[in-house]
Amino acid sequence: MFTPLDRIFSIIAGWIDQNAILPILYHFGWMEWEELSFDWMLICVYGVFALLVTYAICWPLEALRPIERWSSRKAVLPDIFYTVLARVGVLPIVSFLVFYQVQVWVNGFVVDHGYIPPMLETLIPPLLGHPVLTFLAYALILDCSDYWRHRLSHSFRGWYALHALHHAQRQMSFWSDDRNHLLDDLIGALWFGVVALAIGIPPLQFPLLLMFMRFVESLSHANVRLSFGWLGDRLLVSPRFHRIHHGLLAAGRVSCNYGAVFPIWDMIFGTADFSDAWPATGDRNAPEAMVSGGYLAQQWGGLTHAWGQMRAGHAKRKAARRQARPLSS
Amino acid sequence: MPVLDRRGFLTQAGISTAALAGGLRPGRAAHAAALRPMAFVMNSGAANVSVIDMTTRKVLRTLPTLREPSHWALPPDRSRLLVCDAGGNALFYFDPETGQEMGHRVMADPYQIGYSPDGRYFLANALRLNFVEIYRASDFHLIKRLSVGGMPSHLDFSPDSRVSFHSMQQSGTLVAIDLARAEPRWTAKIGKVPAGVLYHNGKVLCCVMGANYVAVLDPASGEIVGRIHTGIGPHNLFLTPDRKTLYVTNRVGGTLVALDPATLAVRRTYPLHASGPDDLAVAPDGKLWIALRFREQVAVLDPVSGHYDTIDVGRSPHGIFLNTMLARPGLVTAEML
Repeated sequence: MFTPLDRIFSIIAGWIDQNAILPILYHFGWMEWEELSFDWMLICVYGVFALLVTYAICWPLEALRPIERWSSRKAVLPDIFYTVLARVGVLPIVSFLVFYQVQVWVNGFVVDHGYIPPMLETLIPPLLGHPVLTFLAYALILDCSDYWRHRLSHSFRGWYALHALHHAQRQMSFWSDDRNHLLDDLIGALWFGVVALAIGIPPLQFPLLLMFMRFVESLSHANVRLSFGWLGDRLLVSPRFHRIHHGLLAAGRVSCNYGAVFPIWDMIFGTADFSDAWPATGDRNAPEAMVSGGYLAQQWGGLTHAWGQMRAGHAKRKAARRQARPLSS
Repeated sequence: MPVLDRRGFLTQAGISTAALAGGLRPGRAAHAAALRPMAFVMNSGAANVSVIDMTTRKVLRTLPTLREPSHWALPPDRSRLLVCDAGGNALFYFDPETGQEMGHRVMADPYQIGYSPDGRYFLANALRLNFVEIYRASDFHLIKRLSVGGMPSHLDFSPDSRVSFHSMQQSGTLVAIDLARAEPRWTAKIGKVPAGVLYHNGKVLCCVMGANYVAVLDPASGEIVGRIHTGIGPHNLFLTPDRKTLYVTNRVGGTLVALDPATLAVRRTYPLHASGPDDLAVAPDGKLWIALRFREQVAVLDPVSGHYDTIDVGRSPHGIFLNTMLARPGLVTAEML
């Protein structure tokens, strides 16, 4: 499947690894990462390819069938930066290195206590030998898990204040998918880590399928008047379906359409809204720094906003407790 | 200088390795020689094993694993080929004669595995989780799990099966473990990112991938008694069945180096062109089958001409086993071909 393309990408990644990355690792004494460096290069090569394909498809769509016409696209620039960081592999690699020891400690701890994290194929043996099916099963389970992570991120005051960075964008485009606060990303990584302990990590031999899923996520944010039809909208998250989630009325702690790739979870758990609407996007409560600031201003703004929201929530709970306390004579 | 390795040690001691290991009987040797010659290539990035007909050089079938097959071991009775899958927390079994699947067992992060020469112990290095596991080979009873350094990578044994040697990539050490006591005997700091290990000629050789040499150590004390400069980033080393050549793959340099096994002097360097050479095996015709990590290929190299052909396999080919090795008497390990 996709073998010729995969082979070309492997050769490009291998050439870069052999000629650029390994000499750097060698020079700085970091050769213990040499085995992973090839995988990292593959992530980068596939990431660049995915970016080019996404741009080549989404840009004409946004130009031909825009929902909104903007006089300036300046507000989109930070989103491009977020996308490059995430898709070309910078964030995944940095987070891997930062959390490597945590992952080692947690996995070592559970193994020492007699628990060896299974894979989906060891839990469901008929899947072994059917990697595409296994990939799809993982995709469904991880998408379901992500649905709940996303829904919970809208449920807690402090967490949503971080996630509001994603919602703050008033000029939502196909670049907006990776516009996230680093702490929100961190929670996402920990969430995935817990799921991985339960069902293992998905097979990674199908990067093109993975890229397709990420493409669906990018497209769902595009400024394009596009739905996949009655059935299609129920099979894959479309720009119309996801725009309702980003609408001004859906920003906050009560929302809808949380699914990232498959709308089925919203349908099952009662949060789907298939209205034929194209609302304006953004979050009226987000500080302006989170809306129109640069990358660092947005990150800092998200942090202070979250802190402020947590303090406000604490004060509110305290006041509620005081009110509920019986008056002493 | 006589070349004394594990096979030589056992032979000099008057012990037939095959008998000791329950290995090759004469009838079985004939049977092994009549087998269809097949290469098993562990594709770490594709979660499968390519089985190649060595005569036609075509991929016969692709055997699934879970996530990341890397290295292999052959048990003393040679009844099955064990392939470790660290990412999938499993050890896979394949029939080395037919190339068919034979199931798998759960094991935490087995990256590199090996049987002691006497067949009593089975050892597994968990590179990601930083431990070494010692099993009773007969029933896979876990004797002990040891944390002896960061990123345990490759391993080998002393010929008398009393000691195992483990390179620790992150700690920059080589650790000797007393197998009877299941405790470390010594730890030697040998340089940045040690990798392939081989007990050879009364010494322990260990590739130092973060440097440009193979360290030579005294197996009794762990003292470094020499350094052989083979090129940048030596990764693994292999002794040919005729014991006439010792090969070293250089990961950073992208080359293969042939050493004289007696003097350890460099005889020849083969360029392998940005391909990430990893493990290799020697075919009966003397050609080297080399896993090229970065090219999704196996190279079949003629060591005389230096010319090589390639065979397409899966992503990141890592370990390689040729079932023609079954016809050989004595020990067969990933490094002692």
